Amino acid sequence: MKLPTYLLAGALLLGLASCDSMLDFEPGDVILAEDAIQTSDDLQRLLVSSYDVLANLYGGRVQIINELRGDNFGSPDNSLDFNAVYNRETTFFTGINGGTYTDFYYAIYRSNVMIENFELVSDLTEAERTRMEAEARFIRAVCHWGAVKLFAQPYGYTPDNSHLGVPLRLETSQDPLPRATVGEVYAAVVEDLEFAAANLPAENGVYATSWAAKGYLAQIHFLMLNWSEAASYASEVIASGAFQLDGDLDRFETDVINAETVFGIISRIQDNRSTWFRDNLRSDNNPSPQLSFSEEFNFFMSLSGAGDARSNWINNTGTRFLCNRFNEKEYFNVPLVHLTGLHLVRAEALAEQGIDLATAISDINAIRDRAYGTGANDLSETATAEEVRDAARDEFRKETICEGQWTDQLVRRGVMGEAIEIRGAPWDCPGMALQFSNSETTSAGFVLNEEGGCL
Amino acid sequence: MRNHILLALLACAMSSMAWSQTLKGKVTNSNNEGMPSASVIANGGTTGVFTDLDGNYTLNLSEGTHTIDYTFIGYAKESRNIELAAGQTLLVNIQLEEDAVFIGDVVVIGYGVQRAKEVTGSITSVDSKQITAVQTPSFEAALQGQAAGVQVSQSSGVAGAPSLIRVRGVASVSAAGDPLYVVDGIPITQDYFLRGNSGALNNNPLAAINPNDIESVEILKDAAATGIYGSRGANGVILITTKRGRKGTSFEFSSRAGLATPATLPNMMSTEEYLALRQEAWENDGGTGYVWLPNMTSAADDAETRKEAYLNALGTNTDWVDETVGTGIKNAYSFGARKGGDRYNFYGGISYDNNESYLLGNSYERISGRANLDFSPTEWMTVMASSSLSQGRNNRIDAAWSGGLGDAMSNALPYYPVRYNEAEISAGGDTLHQEGEYFLWFDEWGGTKNPTAVRELKRWRSTENRSINNVQVIVSPVEDLNIKVSGGFDYLHLRDDQYNPGGLSITTDLGSANRYANYVLNWNSSATADYYLELDDAQSLSFLLGTEFQRTDNYGYSLYYPDVAGPVFEVDSLLTDATTVNRTQNNPSQHSFLSYFGRVNYTLKDRYFFQGTARVDGSSRFGRDNRYGFFPSLSAGWVISDEDWFHAEQVSFLKFRSSWGRTGNAALPDYARFGTYSARDNGITYAADSILFPLQPENPTLRWETSRTLDASIEVGLWDDRISLELAGYHKLSRDVLMNVSTPASTGFTNYWDNVATILNRGLEFSIKSRNLVGVFEWTTDLNLARNYNELVDIGNYTPDAVSGGTNDSRVIVGSPVGSFYLVEHSHVDSETGLPVYLDLDGNETYDYNNDIRKYVGDGLPELIGGMNNSFRWKNWDLSALATFSFGAKIFDSSAKRQLGVVSGWNMRTEKLDRWRQPGDEATYPRLTLDETTYSLPSGFPWWNTSLFVYDASYLRLRNLTLGYNVPQFQAAGRNFNSFRIALNATNVFTITNFPGLDPEVVRDFENAQDRNMSPNVTYLTPPQERAFTLSITTNF
Repeated sequence: MKLPTYLLAGALLLGLASCDSMLDFEPGDVILAEDAIQTSDDLQRLLVSSYDVLANLYGGRVQIINELRGDNFGSPDNSLDFNAVYNRETTFFTGINGGTYTDFYYAIYRSNVMIENFELVSDLTEAERTRMEAEARFIRAVCHWGAVKLFAQPYGYTPDNSHLGVPLRLETSQDPLPRATVGEVYAAVVEDLEFAAANLPAENGVYATSWAAKGYLAQIHFLMLNWSEAASYASEVIASGAFQLDGDLDRFETDVINAETVFGIISRIQDNRSTWFRDNLRSDNNPSPQLSFSEEFNFFMSLSGAGDARSNWINNTGTRFLCNRFNEKEYFNVPLVHLTGLHLVRAEALAEQGIDLATAISDINAIRDRAYGTGANDLSETATAEEVRDAARDEFRKETICEGQWTDQLVRRGVMGEAIEIRGAPWDCPGMALQFSNSETTSAGFVLNEEGGCL
Repeated sequence: MRNHILLALLACAMSSMAWSQTLKGKVTNSNNEGMPSASVIANGGTTGVFTDLDGNYTLNLSEGTHTIDYTFIGYAKESRNIELAAGQTLLVNIQLEEDAVFIGDVVVIGYGVQRAKEVTGSITSVDSKQITAVQTPSFEAALQGQAAGVQVSQSSGVAGAPSLIRVRGVASVSAAGDPLYVVDGIPITQDYFLRGNSGALNNNPLAAINPNDIESVEILKDAAATGIYGSRGANGVILITTKRGRKGTSFEFSSRAGLATPATLPNMMSTEEYLALRQEAWENDGGTGYVWLPNMTSAADDAETRKEAYLNALGTNTDWVDETVGTGIKNAYSFGARKGGDRYNFYGGISYDNNESYLLGNSYERISGRANLDFSPTEWMTVMASSSLSQGRNNRIDAAWSGGLGDAMSNALPYYPVRYNEAEISAGGDTLHQEGEYFLWFDEWGGTKNPTAVRELKRWRSTENRSINNVQVIVSPVEDLNIKVSGGFDYLHLRDDQYNPGGLSITTDLGSANRYANYVLNWNSSATADYYLELDDAQSLSFLLGTEFQRTDNYGYSLYYPDVAGPVFEVDSLLTDATTVNRTQNNPSQHSFLSYFGRVNYTLKDRYFFQGTARVDGSSRFGRDNRYGFFPSLSAGWVISDEDWFHAEQVSFLKFRSSWGRTGNAALPDYARFGTYSARDNGITYAADSILFPLQPENPTLRWETSRTLDASIEVGLWDDRISLELAGYHKLSRDVLMNVSTPASTGFTNYWDNVATILNRGLEFSIKSRNLVGVFEWTTDLNLARNYNELVDIGNYTPDAVSGGTNDSRVIVGSPVGSFYLVEHSHVDSETGLPVYLDLDGNETYDYNNDIRKYVGDGLPELIGGMNNSFRWKNWDLSALATFSFGAKIFDSSAKRQLGVVSGWNMRTEKLDRWRQPGDEATYPRLTLDETTYSLPSGFPWWNTSLFVYDASYLRLRNLTLGYNVPQFQAAGRNFNSFRIALNATNVFTITNFPGLDPEVVRDFENAQDRNMSPNVTYLTPPQERAFTLSITTNF
């Protein structure tokens, strides 16, 4: 062969590899973002994934963090994360606050993706679309509210609520966002929930209903000191007849959604979302669980006297006050909005306004009757507004043991001007607001919370 | 060939002159066969001849002394100093030894070889002897101290741990910053994180390569050298050439046996010391009575219970370090055979290497085989096939943070017994623990601990099967044209088997077994054509054109057996038992590179050399718009000493070279650019409904990380190359450096790959080789020094926390090097209060510890690194001593912040005794406390991250000391033993350093490639290197 032939052969060989498609690899076990949402079924799955995150948050984690900031719990056993929250000294190195913060925004992001992508799907009815949007906004509101309560000083901390809250994410974006004010966050939360209340169905399987949205609105307005709205939303849910105060005190039921649960987290044997409660509080299978009640809380509970079934939730070992509420349960559903809470919110809201005390008293007595199994401890029909308010507060504290709502109420009373101290520190000491996650600080200019200051 | 022509001309010119003194003899190879056409050159070229067909030569010389050089391509040069009296005829027979691939004459470059003189890029060659002279478990460790500007940090004492190599500093942040490894032309799989840092060990993808199979290693440093590997050359290229057959038949055998001990050990406190300090802390904090003891009592216990436990604890004093450390035994055997004929060459090698570390229960075993065959069916065609098969079996233990010696340095308190000395009976009469049962405790993360129990009960073995193969067909249709087509396949299968018996988890289960399997399949094909064109007597051109395609597939799975009696590798039935297994498929991934490249070399008058390379690389990791990168380089060399006008008596060689070029890096995850969602059938549900969710955000603009490098050097040979030295400088600016930035969590994602940073590396390198003494007693010194300046020039609008090195407090700080320590600065201990005093950002003293006042407090990058080897030869004896050194780097002892910080459930080092006790004390460590808030640390956060634990890591280490005896040639069993060498070798003989911790040279386990770039010189309970003593025998016959 002659030289040119070889050169030609060589050139051909070199040319063999000239194919761009040899560089096209796509991940095989996942879906590309542009292909992810094609049918209404995809949207529904995306929506359920937001509930999935909500379940990871509210299967006990957020509740425990909230209790750790308050006065119901004693010092955690040895968990560094729990101690950091308890001592109100979280930093962005502490894992529990960072992880929780991140989860709130995972759910918010997914909700926003839903809201922005309905047009990708052709097989969606208008009713379905409205329901999905309402659910997405419901979750977005619950998460923004959950985040702003943990990562900022409370509503009312400044008169115009101009103090810094959390980033308000109402659309998807990869750009950093500064913190919105607490006032802005609450306004958006209320707007989302009002939309949800107006557009969600009354029945929606295990997912959010219009009653769930109204239940949250009652709780939120209550913290905003909007007594009338709080009472009115609570009344709507109570009057709906969709939920009943069960004779049984136990709202954390296995395989059954308790009759008074307006909205909650579902656990199944193969998908347990209640492990934070089980692993950190359950005391029948663990002589030294991480978490126990404070001495002060034990004293408070002891005041209710004999016959109060809720006293059985405390197990005084002599050195620690362990929690019995979750004993003998491997997995259970977790109520987040329930009739008991709404009755007590309404009672206190009415008492604050000094109106319709009869309803308020009956609210309280319904709870007491169930706890004592008798009407002997009923609040008198002639109780004053102040007595009604105090009774509502006491019952609320007892009923929501470990439910993570009591600290919000303490802080609310601080906002109202009461001299509230939580374990020796003012209700608004800096460390009450958890520190943000490390990742939030990676772009210049984000304002962090002040750390510590609560000891 | 050009050499030969010159020599021939020279010989002709000289032949007319007549001298009456004669030097004659025979040049033979190691098989005593005469070597035709070997060069015999006197006095650096004044006269010379070739040997005849039988290897004989005759050279007429003037009266007096002469230096005679005997050379032949592929063999090491031999030199003799002779003295000829008037009329004398001297007989000198020379045996030339085969050497690394054409070392000293020709060097291996990308896709070819080149005469050393013509090289215009920065390349350091290391030959097989240097690789095997140092007893290292993996070849790359032997590169330490051998090449200027190549920082090799040796692995920790864990068997199978990888070393860390940086060529001219680190130029990457999140993408892998390791050099590209190429074995016989195949860029091999080099993933250190197939199993993450499980058990505090990163897998070593280079461990499967048998050092005895290596002929030479070339380290390509600048853009001119690496440019031909454009795409992946940004952090240097390491070319590994394996041995090939040669004419005749020869064998080589080596064996070694040795002992490994820790180079150093921690001084942990005894029970008495620990309890005394704990008691002092308790009392400082206002406690009364006896202090509570972890895993015995709690602060809430009454005084009597605490006292009883304290007094009881004093009865036990376990030396946990001693429980985890011993003497490792090493032995290795390697056998190689070479055979060659007119048409074929064959090399075959097998080896077995069992390398126990000093950590009890830990060893790395390797069995390997290699066959390299070259076959020329016709004169114009050669087929070269190379194949290796190896198995590395790592008998694992937990190390560092995961357990073992790491536990002994942390949570294993001296008052814990190894086993219960007597049965423990409850108040109710039940036996809680039998006598002799392991005493188990919990660490602060709830892990069940006792290093002895874990080692003896847990079964853990990682097995790596590796095969690297390639076939190359070289066709030379006409003179000076070669067409090469090559195909390669690199197979890696890593299997990690763990068995945790029930006894360790305190359950009634039998135990649980895990298998983690990873496969990496890497195909490579390339075609090149090179052509040499002589324009006229003074000018020549050579061309190379090529294309290459590489594809890598990763996949794997894990198996979990919840209740079984043994590990998967022992209980065969497990693999077929579908009922108890939980199988998880790993995410498979693929990537590919498609490349076109070319190189032109122009040589003028054999002293001006010019080279241009260009490579276009496409990577599947980038989207179509940013897929291809263009990586050119230009370089030139000038051998000034060959100029006619150059007449410097002392200067025998002088060369200047310089280069400029662009190189790239695409070592990021395969699918980082895609926005992805979980699969629809991902099996995850909530409330029994399936879910679909976003996984990562899209970045369609991801593109190549590119470095522009300017390089210049001057090479000088003095006094007939008795001294040769090289000075090189470079300036390398890397742009679009890939960062896996932490993005605000409120965006819905926490990480995002983007081209963000700019990094500058610039430096100077100096090396000198001096034959100080020649003659009967020879003394040669090799010294290399390198200084690198590294600066992170820009990171966009991000803060230092945007990228961190694992848990190592290393961050990206503009104006500081990659891998800077970002900590609160510690000033001193207040002599009045005993509290630590910090410095805020303005340098003001404060008692307040706060993350807001973190700052740059040092970095792990050295200012000067180098190595010095001195070798001595006297008759049959030789001695060599390699010292390596590093100055100016800091080390962050990340475990010291617990060992020397707040008194906790960690044992402490005895340095802690130097603590403040009363007003007026000047102490290194503050008043003892059990409460981290005393030091103003956040409650629940006893990690005292301060600059107090950032130390100077400068060191000088006698890395290697070898004494060898070369038995004179002898015949046995009908074969001629050309060499038979017995050597005694010691590694890590001593270290001079001010570092108060364990080992100033540290490679900890890393979480990922980013951590590997960001956290050099951070130690966290990392086992120190070993000190090994080895006796070896090497023979050729």
